[in-house]
Amino acid sequence: MEVEGKGGEAGTTTTATRRFALPVDAENKSTTFRLFSVAKPHMRAFHLSWFQFFCCFVSTFAAPPLLPIIRENLNLTATDIGNAGIASVSGSVFARIVMGTACDLFGPRLASAALTLSTAPAVYFTAGIKSPIGFIMVRFFAGFSLATFVSTQFWMSSMFSGPVVGSANGIAAGWGNLGGGATQLIMPIVFSLIRRMGATKFTAWRIAFFIPGLFQTLSAFAVLLFGQDLPDGDYWAMHKSGEREKDDVGKVISNGISNYRGWITALAYGYCFGVELTIDNIIAEYFFDRFHLNLQTAGIIAASFGLANFFARPGGGIFSDLMARRFGMRGRLWAWWIVQTLGGVLCAFLGQIHSLTWSIVVMLIFSVFVQAACGLTFGVVPFISRRSLGVISGMTGAGGNVGAVLTQLIFFKGSTYSRETGITLMGIMSIACSLPICFIYFPQWGGMFCGPSSKKVTEEDYYLAEWSSKEKAKNLHLASQKFAETSVSERGRASTHPQT
Amino acid sequence: MHPFFSSKSIFLLPKFQNSTMTIHTLLFASLLIFSFIHSCRGGNKDRLFTELQNLIEVTTKPMQDGVVLEAGKDMVTVKWKLKSSAKVDADATFKTIQVKLCYAPISQVDRPWRKTHNELLKDKTCPYEIVSKPYDKTPQSLDWTVELDIPTGTYFVRVYGIDGDGHEVAYGQSSDEGRTTNLFSIQAISGGHVSLDIASILFSVFSVVSLLVFFVKEKKKAKLEQRE
Repeated sequence: MEVEGKGGEAGTTTTATRRFALPVDAENKSTTFRLFSVAKPHMRAFHLSWFQFFCCFVSTFAAPPLLPIIRENLNLTATDIGNAGIASVSGSVFARIVMGTACDLFGPRLASAALTLSTAPAVYFTAGIKSPIGFIMVRFFAGFSLATFVSTQFWMSSMFSGPVVGSANGIAAGWGNLGGGATQLIMPIVFSLIRRMGATKFTAWRIAFFIPGLFQTLSAFAVLLFGQDLPDGDYWAMHKSGEREKDDVGKVISNGISNYRGWITALAYGYCFGVELTIDNIIAEYFFDRFHLNLQTAGIIAASFGLANFFARPGGGIFSDLMARRFGMRGRLWAWWIVQTLGGVLCAFLGQIHSLTWSIVVMLIFSVFVQAACGLTFGVVPFISRRSLGVISGMTGAGGNVGAVLTQLIFFKGSTYSRETGITLMGIMSIACSLPICFIYFPQWGGMFCGPSSKKVTEEDYYLAEWSSKEKAKNLHLASQKFAETSVSERGRASTHPQT
Repeated sequence: MHPFFSSKSIFLLPKFQNSTMTIHTLLFASLLIFSFIHSCRGGNKDRLFTELQNLIEVTTKPMQDGVVLEAGKDMVTVKWKLKSSAKVDADATFKTIQVKLCYAPISQVDRPWRKTHNELLKDKTCPYEIVSKPYDKTPQSLDWTVELDIPTGTYFVRVYGIDGDGHEVAYGQSSDEGRTTNLFSIQAISGGHVSLDIASILFSVFSVVSLLVFFVKEKKKAKLEQRE
């Protein structure tokens, strides 16, 4: 028999009759992360959410590995292909921003499943497109599903507590992004299986799209049937019974967008995650055309880029946590800037290489750096704001897609630049757009080049400044207070900052 | 404080890295071997199109003039023979004759994967082989049905004379040097089927309807819990 416990901001202890498979904190969030468990509700939520996100990635990038066939069937020009690539990542710019609020209102379970189920038709209809416009439209609408990134991070942050939330977020995001790599392997294999069953080339690719579509639909069903928004139950029920205090949406948004750090992380993420999305779109065709490989081989090589996400992005998150233990937030920022800049350098190199073998080697190393940079980004993001965490995450996530849109617009549309030149220029732009990381400054911890403020600002000062005194009187700020206390660890070990 | 890096999970992490590393090493090794084989097959990379002599006369006659040919249905009659202006024994080195379908410049616009390169190995102008047969001195003719996987575009036909080493030594084409005359158009099959369209609609409706069903169920559940 399960009893509803009181969770959330009120902070009172739970009734003891509720039992969880994993050890939990006062908010019933799990304090450990057990990868091979599917225990309800924490680990189950993890597996459901990363798998759903993975399926959305597979669908969004299902077209690129089959482009050599699709471009002949639909008579596409390089401009059409470029436009479709831009369309595929631009839809979710808006969707990612909205998703944060949607999670707040409906809970991550319903919000993400709704998005996944409503974008599945775009994938199914890909089978019937007859023109370049059709191609651009289906890629545009299918791409909205990438906003499930925000719901993944939101859900993990609701299920896992401080010491493990970074890792949970990093692994969930990394394993979701894996879809961009897996699809480059899956689609050519599915295509050749269907051809072997007797379909012509121009029909086989169409049938192949039902596979990602089905997986997307089924993963949404799994989320709806087996998932749960919060450790204590689902949003809908808890909202209505008044257990969760609702914050003023307008205030949350204005607090978020007025924080300059969120804009810097958005730009920087645009040049690590944005680069990753761009590569997902162009790399199979690049290897196919430049090195005269067949569809399957080009697919395998392209896949290995995205597959590095299995360990590279979580690794970035874990590396960020390791740096923070010793050097605090300054360590996180330095690690992020160095790794991302090196990623840009390797990208610039990649375009200059003429040999197939070296292209693959450089691409593999580059993939690890750029994906680790994504993980390192979200090592910093949770500390930028507590009140507007959703908004900052949404901005950063959206910024990733904006970066992909911009990059494809400038360097990969039409035939202005050859693909190789485009890749090099993208690397250079990456290096330039990573420089603003140097300007992120936390008065309580410092920035890359400056130490903490001489005015001895504390974590509490920083996070509670987001609330007005009226709001504090209503005790709305208590979660931020708790967060400020745990974030003292961002001072690092070597700090001489006096303990308050 | 429950640290993530408990003794058990420390063992988990290197395990992951090892298995992925092994996969990557295997992938890398197999690709190295593949590219080694690939580069061995390269041969003489500097053979240029401009070095070939135009010794073969090629004519094409589509089934119907002035009409767009349909892939899988319509035919083109291709005829080729050694030019009467060619020197005696100019075709002594010919072992095989290869007839190819080539893109006209208008179909290459804004499509870098169809670009014309002077280096024969890089050239993407003629990707489709119509026929390849041993060289016969007598004039040849072939009725070719446009294959199902030919894309929409404007085309001409080129014939290569190939020597015993597999290298092109001479060519001929049905169009002029600028590849602007005597072209014919092909319309590809759409590849679509009514059954695919119906399946798309069915699955899409299923997805959206099940979403609505779930939403309604959730609302009902919430109302029930509120009343309790």
